[in-house]
Amino acid sequence: MARLRRDMTMEQQLAQGPMDLPFLMLVVLLTGIGVITVFSASYATAASQGRGATYFFLRQAVFAVLGIVGMYIISRINYQHFRWMSVFALLAAFACLLLVLTPLGYGWDTVGAQRWLRIPIAGSVQPSEVAKLGVILYFSARLSKRSSEKKRKYDTKTTLGAILQILDNWGLMELIPYGVILLIILILMYFEPHMSGAILIMVAAAAVLFAGGVNLRWFALGGTFVVGFLLLTMQGYQSLRIKIWQDPWAYPRDGGYQIIQSLYAIGSGGLFGVGFGQSRQKQLFLPEPENDFIFSIWCEEMGLVGAAVVLVLFALLVLRGYWIALHARDRFGSLLTVGIITLMAVQVFLNISVVTNLLPTTGISLPFFSYGGTALLIQLAMMGIVLSVSRQIPAPKQG
Amino acid sequence: MERDRRERERQEHPRPAPDRRANRTILIRTGILAVVFGVAVFAPLFGKLYAIQVRDHDFYQEKAIDQQTRDNAVAANRGEITDINGKVLASSGTVYDVILSPKDFEALLERWDDAFTDSGGNLLTDSKYYYPRPEAEKVAAGLAEILGADPEKLLARLEKNTSYEVAATRVEQEVNAEILKFIQDQHLANSIYTTPTSKRYYPHGSLAAKLIGWVNWKNDNKGAYGMEALYEKELAGETGRVVTARDGEGVEMKYSFQDYYDATDGNNVMLTMDTTIQYYCERILEKGIEMFDVQDGGFVIAMDPNTGAIKAWANSPNYDLNDPWSITDPVLLEYLETVKNDPEAAEDAYSKALGDMQNRQWRNKSINDSYEPGSTFKSMVLAAALEEGVVTESDHFYCPGYVTVADRTINCSKKAPGHGDQDLATAVGNSCNPAFVAIGQRLGAEKFYDYLEDFGFLEKTGVDMQGEGVSQIWPREKFTSANGITNLATASFGQRFQVTPLQLITAASSVINGGHLMQPYVMESITDAEGNVLEHTEPTEVRQVISTETSRRCREILEKVVDGGTGKRAYVPGYRIGGKTGSSETIKETGEDPIANKGDDYTIVSFLGFAPADDPQIIVLLAYNAPKPVVPGSNLTKDDYYISGGNMAALMAGELLEDVLEYMGVEKSYTEAERAFIDVTVPNLVGQTAQIGRESVTGAGFQVRTVGEGDTVTAQIPVGGAVIPSGSEVILYLGEEKPDELVAVPDVRGRTAAQAQEILARYGLYLKVGGSSRYMSSNAIVASQEIAVGASVERGTVVTCLFSDNTMTD
Repeated sequence: MARLRRDMTMEQQLAQGPMDLPFLMLVVLLTGIGVITVFSASYATAASQGRGATYFFLRQAVFAVLGIVGMYIISRINYQHFRWMSVFALLAAFACLLLVLTPLGYGWDTVGAQRWLRIPIAGSVQPSEVAKLGVILYFSARLSKRSSEKKRKYDTKTTLGAILQILDNWGLMELIPYGVILLIILILMYFEPHMSGAILIMVAAAAVLFAGGVNLRWFALGGTFVVGFLLLTMQGYQSLRIKIWQDPWAYPRDGGYQIIQSLYAIGSGGLFGVGFGQSRQKQLFLPEPENDFIFSIWCEEMGLVGAAVVLVLFALLVLRGYWIALHARDRFGSLLTVGIITLMAVQVFLNISVVTNLLPTTGISLPFFSYGGTALLIQLAMMGIVLSVSRQIPAPKQG
Repeated sequence: MERDRRERERQEHPRPAPDRRANRTILIRTGILAVVFGVAVFAPLFGKLYAIQVRDHDFYQEKAIDQQTRDNAVAANRGEITDINGKVLASSGTVYDVILSPKDFEALLERWDDAFTDSGGNLLTDSKYYYPRPEAEKVAAGLAEILGADPEKLLARLEKNTSYEVAATRVEQEVNAEILKFIQDQHLANSIYTTPTSKRYYPHGSLAAKLIGWVNWKNDNKGAYGMEALYEKELAGETGRVVTARDGEGVEMKYSFQDYYDATDGNNVMLTMDTTIQYYCERILEKGIEMFDVQDGGFVIAMDPNTGAIKAWANSPNYDLNDPWSITDPVLLEYLETVKNDPEAAEDAYSKALGDMQNRQWRNKSINDSYEPGSTFKSMVLAAALEEGVVTESDHFYCPGYVTVADRTINCSKKAPGHGDQDLATAVGNSCNPAFVAIGQRLGAEKFYDYLEDFGFLEKTGVDMQGEGVSQIWPREKFTSANGITNLATASFGQRFQVTPLQLITAASSVINGGHLMQPYVMESITDAEGNVLEHTEPTEVRQVISTETSRRCREILEKVVDGGTGKRAYVPGYRIGGKTGSSETIKETGEDPIANKGDDYTIVSFLGFAPADDPQIIVLLAYNAPKPVVPGSNLTKDDYYISGGNMAALMAGELLEDVLEYMGVEKSYTEAERAFIDVTVPNLVGQTAQIGRESVTGAGFQVRTVGEGDTVTAQIPVGGAVIPSGSEVILYLGEEKPDELVAVPDVRGRTAAQAQEILARYGLYLKVGGSSRYMSSNAIVASQEIAVGASVERGTVVTCLFSDNTMTD
């Protein structure tokens, strides 16, 4: 027997509020386009691997349907529950990051990096995906309580106490838990290694911290450290990346091949594209066209017009996401949404920057588009969280 | 109640007091993020996509299509060149270039190592697919054997770090088949491959080389020289392409898309040239060059005087179209030898000389350059004078051996006392310079120059050949001015100016063909590969220069040049041949020629001939450049040929015209006088009935006399198989004994032909005309007889007598 609305608590009532329809529509639209693009981009590869032409497409479609169902279910959950769940999410992330380094993970043999965890039925999952979610949830939950936390008192009589007091006054002490969490994650990911995943986690964390009101000076400091770190690591393998980025044609075999093929695909699309399904670059020229470089195939087939449509859809989704964040019922909802949306926006930006050679190559997939079942599931789950937040937006006052 | 519950909840979960400042921070910072990640980051993405997809679209598309498609050229078959009868002069076939790809070979060896050795380095010879490792040395050796090449060099190429090395070019079909088999047997696919290319074949080798020209495979198989170059566009056709899609692994995707751009085969070009006439012309040219010790080559042009169609164009030096870089002409070879053996020659002298000689043999002097026409030009002066009515056949000219114009003395070819009194025809026949000076003066400078123009000497003929040269003639003022009279005088007998051989033969054609100046042409028609005629050259009349009547009168007069004049060595019994001889002294030119310098004993001997004289079907112009005098300044060659057009070119022209006219199916028709001297073989009639004997003898053109009354021929004089002049008497003995006493050969030296024949017949002997000319003028006298005077011979013996004329000049 359905519970009547008036029988519910206020919070329960709020959780039953309407989803943000524009956001939902954009997510479903992008997912739909994404799955269809996987079909077009993957069939040549599938055929060459001796699989059915629809192998990747069908798998992706199944995950998309599951993901949308999952998104709906998550949207029905009162997101306040994620406050307590966030600790477990974070712990799960640590667990995954540890497990992936055990024989349960794989990737060494194929790509030289241990990035996947086998899981029954679903296939595999990247611990970094779990870590993103865990970090966003935990950071949001913790930061939303920031202003209500009691000021710590230090014994200023001892030297240590005095130093700590000064640090606390600067605002450093409250950052230590976040810092420690990020450091542990970075160290664990260093062993995979998985630089692009680490960057995304950092970005998500930074977004939440930024919106959460952490003093800007720490971002300046952190930014300096990151830049310094990047400069230091720009030796050898990493610096080759920069050289390839500057002139891919100088390295037609050693690394520049994929970006060259991507540029050929995008460039031959022109204004209106060669037509859906007509990509020639997917015919074993562009490696793994259904994956990180799926957008190149979309550009080739649909041209600048098609590319612009997808860009606009993403932009609208991002803007609607921030709108939800701005209108969220509480700080936790805002921060959660900011983290998820910023992460997605950065992922879109980085992915398209890489396929157009605006930035050096890093392995970042395109949300909703790139082939990968569990990644899509987690992506849609995060959208579910945003939708859950959107349910609790107070209705605008009449009159 | 509801209110209580809510109140209770509020107390249980007290809502924190809203922290306005913290909330505002979140709002502001979220707003900033929204602007950055919702708007700002998309701008560079769109900008970059615009740059790639629109601004640089063509660049990327071209590169992409480049790798996505396999573009195979489909060679068009070059059209054939045929002669007027469809005989193939040039055709194309397929040959192959053999290409090595050392990088692929290296990869192949690596793959072999992967496939047939295990980790311990042991060979996996049990493998079903095992084959011996194709070692580079073995491959090079095998390839070298097929190609007949040096295995060391091939090995060196195979070991280079490239993917394109040419192992051999232009190998024939059979060799290609062997190579393909070798590739298959040795599992060398991709490491060695052959690519088809086109080769031009010239079945007749050097025949009409300068007319046909050749295809330079070093320059993309484009036509170089001659018709091959002139009709390059027509002959070449259009190369086709097959564009097929391929995937990233190079597999063709035929189902995806495939565009054909059909190759259009070249068109066939038919020349007006007749291979047989061309052959005769080249043969006579070579023969003359050898006989007369000619240093600087020559040419023979044969044309249909009524249409301007070039029937043959022989040139010397010549070369083999199938191997145009080789020097084969003996004169050029001799020069090269001297350069080679010259110890003082510079290092690159030989290669420079070789280049010079190659250019010399490729260059068609007789179209590019002009020459001094000499007396052959008098034909045109004669025609002009007759047309203008300033001379008639009854006019007489007196030649004292020289003529004085202004204060200059011009010698005639026959020095004092000269030709004496002559009518017009005789003056032409004698090629008398004083007579022509007079004719020129009667014409006047203005008229003279008008005719130069009308006969086309001041313009190109417009023939469809490359590099037609122009004449070198003074401007009109040089003739008409006060002191132009000497120029007019020398020009009247064809000296001190230059025209092209083609201008001369074209103008001469108009003199004899009824007055029509025709535009000469070489291309008869162009047909496409299916045989449809695309273009056909119709004879083009440039203008009528003289009247039909004047032309007829010219033909008659010019026939007399051969019939007793300077051109009599061109005489062929049975054919009516007209013509004009020419010997031109040349003017010294600047610059040294490696072979013969103009001005130094450099005479061009030429003959312009046409036949039949009453209805010309063919006109020829022969010229030999610089027959070598036995000693400098001499008029004789080392074989005692007098250096003149009449003694050299006319002699050759007679032989040539006889062959050509016979080939053209022009029937011989003898005059009564000629008939007497035609050599006919006497049939053997012994054993035949008297009736048959009589009929056979008269049928063969002899007169018959029978001795005895029997019914069967028992003997005959002369014996069967003897060659005697037709019109001679053959005696058949019918049962009577043939007198077998010998007769003494009488002396007929100093007698004319008719006299000699009469004397010999009295003794039962027969006359046969020998010597370099078959012309029997009433003046010719027996110079020597082959059987000595007084020798005893059987009745019926043929006595060959050599006739001689006074040394002929023109």
